[in-house]
Amino acid sequence: MARVRVAMFVTCLVDLMRPRIGFAALKLLENAGCEVIVPDTQTCCGQPAWNSGDAPGAVALAKKTIAEFEGFEYVVVPSGSCGEHIRVEYPRLFAGEPDWRDRATALASRTYELTDFLVTVLKVDSVPGDYEGTVTYHDSCSGLRGLGIKQQPRALLAKVKGVSLKEMNGCEECCGFGGTFSIKFGEVSAAIAERKCDNVLASGAQAVVGGDLGCLLNIEGKLRRMGDETTQVLHVAEVLAGRT
Amino acid sequence: MEIKSMHFKANASAKLADVVLQGNLKNAKGKFVTKRAQAIKDLDDFEGTRDAAEAIRNKVIDNLDLWLERFEQKAMDTGATVLWAKDGAEVCRLVTEIAKKHGVKKVTKSKSMLSEEAGLNQALEAAGIQPVETDLGEYILQVDNNEPPSHIIAPAVHKSLDDVADLFHKVHGTPRKTEIPALTREAREVLRGHFLSAEMGLSGGNFLVAETGSVALVTNEGNGRMVTTMPKVHVVITGIEKVIPTLEDLSTLMRLLPRSATGQPISNYFSILTGVKKPAEHDGPEHLYFVLVDSGRADVVGTDFHAILRCIRCGACMNHCPVYQTIGGHAYGWVYPGPMGSVLTPLYAGMENSIDLPHAATLCNQCGVVCPVKIPLPDLLRKLREKQTERGLRPITERIGLRVWAWVAQRPKLYALGASVGARYLKWLAGDTDRIRLLPTAPEWTLGRDFPAPQGKTFRELYAARRSATPRT
Amino acid sequence: MSSREDILGRVRAGLHRDATNAAAGRAEMAAALASRSHGPKPAIDSSPQALLERFRVKSEQQSSSVDVVTAESAVPAAVDRYLTAMKLPKSAVAWPSLTALDWAAAGLNVEGRGARDADLVGITGCFCAVAETGTLMLCSSPDTPAAISLLPETHIAIVRASRILPYMEDAWALARKELGSLPRAVNFISGPSRTGDIEQTIVLGAHGPYRVHLVIVAD
Repeated sequence: MARVRVAMFVTCLVDLMRPRIGFAALKLLENAGCEVIVPDTQTCCGQPAWNSGDAPGAVALAKKTIAEFEGFEYVVVPSGSCGEHIRVEYPRLFAGEPDWRDRATALASRTYELTDFLVTVLKVDSVPGDYEGTVTYHDSCSGLRGLGIKQQPRALLAKVKGVSLKEMNGCEECCGFGGTFSIKFGEVSAAIAERKCDNVLASGAQAVVGGDLGCLLNIEGKLRRMGDETTQVLHVAEVLAGRT
Repeated sequence: MEIKSMHFKANASAKLADVVLQGNLKNAKGKFVTKRAQAIKDLDDFEGTRDAAEAIRNKVIDNLDLWLERFEQKAMDTGATVLWAKDGAEVCRLVTEIAKKHGVKKVTKSKSMLSEEAGLNQALEAAGIQPVETDLGEYILQVDNNEPPSHIIAPAVHKSLDDVADLFHKVHGTPRKTEIPALTREAREVLRGHFLSAEMGLSGGNFLVAETGSVALVTNEGNGRMVTTMPKVHVVITGIEKVIPTLEDLSTLMRLLPRSATGQPISNYFSILTGVKKPAEHDGPEHLYFVLVDSGRADVVGTDFHAILRCIRCGACMNHCPVYQTIGGHAYGWVYPGPMGSVLTPLYAGMENSIDLPHAATLCNQCGVVCPVKIPLPDLLRKLREKQTERGLRPITERIGLRVWAWVAQRPKLYALGASVGARYLKWLAGDTDRIRLLPTAPEWTLGRDFPAPQGKTFRELYAARRSATPRT
Repeated sequence: MSSREDILGRVRAGLHRDATNAAAGRAEMAAALASRSHGPKPAIDSSPQALLERFRVKSEQQSSSVDVVTAESAVPAAVDRYLTAMKLPKSAVAWPSLTALDWAAAGLNVEGRGARDADLVGITGCFCAVAETGTLMLCSSPDTPAAISLLPETHIAIVRASRILPYMEDAWALARKELGSLPRAVNFISGPSRTGDIEQTIVLGAHGPYRVHLVIVAD
């Protein structure tokens, strides 16, 4: 069988903050037999502009991203939030531009969040990672309610040697990040994060794992401010891939 | 009601610091969310019922003028009088006129959010007519210096048992009671006299049934029945969007409304009121008036925000909203809090009065998935943000910032450079630690939490380095 | 311009109303009113025994108490049993339509009239009952005053088992068939009045009855 050709959309936050998540995703895809291309002109999918009321900015960035990625068989994104923006919102951005709407729809249908791609498309039966300990999973809002990402990461974590999953209360509740919400309403955002962190701590897990770096930065920042120095905050790709 | 939504941010900070309120909110959240989750389980096809409810509401609002005419005709056929009010001032004028015409001195009210919108109690008092709120929650607020409600179905949800015990002790002059049943009994006894002596009852309307010209009222306490049964005049105040086609549609919506609101399979009392008392009847009003209120609704018809007119006022969106759960309803500054309020307030009370509200949401879509009539609340909030930007209502720094960001992000080389500099700057801020305690570029973030340190180089830098080190075949 | 015309005018403008879409809209409206289509309903076993059982269970879940008798003539004695057990007074106001029952033989002083504030016990029948939710449907009329199920602290309702229907939709169909048009007040009642307005803690007996007792006649 020919190797599946996958383009990876790294996302701004992974690029800026946690390159190791990008490399973990890369390893997972390559381990599963994919040929992975990382188009080097990629920047931002435009979600922050769209969510901030800047429709022209969002449309311009969507066009750029569509043009860069539409030539690939699949596009994989290690983020439910950016994934949801491309998969769900892109086709809706072009109500008045049928050509672009069709291109957006075509790209959307080939774009997957990382864990969804590994489970639904590649149907992987093993992952390289090992992690000795208990983890709890935070379901990010866009992935969960926008893309239906719920069982996929759990199914994959179940294949990691040594891991046991301990669900926390309110795992589907928002962590309070909300993109620019976190810096416009910092106090409210941090107060919501505190509830999430209380649940993380109450679960007794050694690590909280999630699929969206925005949420993870929020949770880690709050845990540390609350004085918790031990709970690890990890992207699911890091756990699945092991050390890269 | 006075609009205070422009002070959202300051109000939110104050609510976060209010220890008592925080405890009350935590208590309420668990009950609403858990009970709803339980209650929807007995519907075999909850999602199908939501689809049906959405279709029912769309059917009407997509031809709202025709349905309103139809309802008006049927209601008049039953002997009711139908009046129309453009705004709150007209609501106050019409209701005061009705009261004067019938020599009314006292009005008992069951809960009506529209009368809050209009500031009706103040207008009645100014005309020498005594308004008495009879929903327990609304009553508690009225006797506490007319405090505004903080939730559309549980108006006093922000108050604790202790708050109510102190309040009743003070205003009733009775020994302080600390048991909820005793406090409820005390309010019952005070209000029973009002129910029997008021000449006019005033209610909202959960639905107006076009088939029969009826108003449907959902209550648990029985106060809705009291104010529509005992006084000789009954005035219904509702928004023009509340019409539904048939009694069967009422049944479908009733499978969702109480479950979504309070987690009950059905409310205690569900009354469908049609016309006036017949000559030989022992009870019921001799006069029935409908005041159909616009107050901004007509101008929403056919716009990008049309879907909000489906709203059946269950409160599920706020019960499930992480922001509402954290700050309560008062911070929103007008009649309707939470996600539906953050859509309605800009539309009904002015976009310029509520700059923050559409942004005061994480867009987590918890509201959208629980809404019984499937209003895409996050989409509407996002659309409002767009309108604000178009009208230049957002701060200039934000508008410029967004434009610069989009401009740079369309230029990959410049963007890559910016990201490299940014990663190093943040790393430098963190020093030899793994976190930043104060983020000068986004100080709001570090008000209540740290900002984790970046690795220091961008993915694209590391990826390029790796590729040049291990050339691929 | 009147407010009515102003409001309707702006609604019409928002909908881009013209003669063509008005005709289409009216046709849709007529179709909706004629079809009276139902939404999805939870599955219910509609055998008479199952309906009675479901009605009983759902009523009890709403904090009503339930007694079953085999004939209407046994109702006064059942009411007396309940009042005795609850240590409630033996005087009651009842729907005028119920005065034919021999209340005096059971030692009860029952008056058929409208309700007064001082009445402590109110006895009613019901137009029908809904098994889905354990709900009574009461229709107002000179013989069936609405306030009797509202003002007294205790509400006793007589329910004929043959009038227990699966769904509220069935109740509407029955009302159209038997009454033609709706009475002034249709009251669906599901247990005693209650409030959760103080700390979301449910308390029975807000403004209406503290207790609802159902006497089902298995006819």
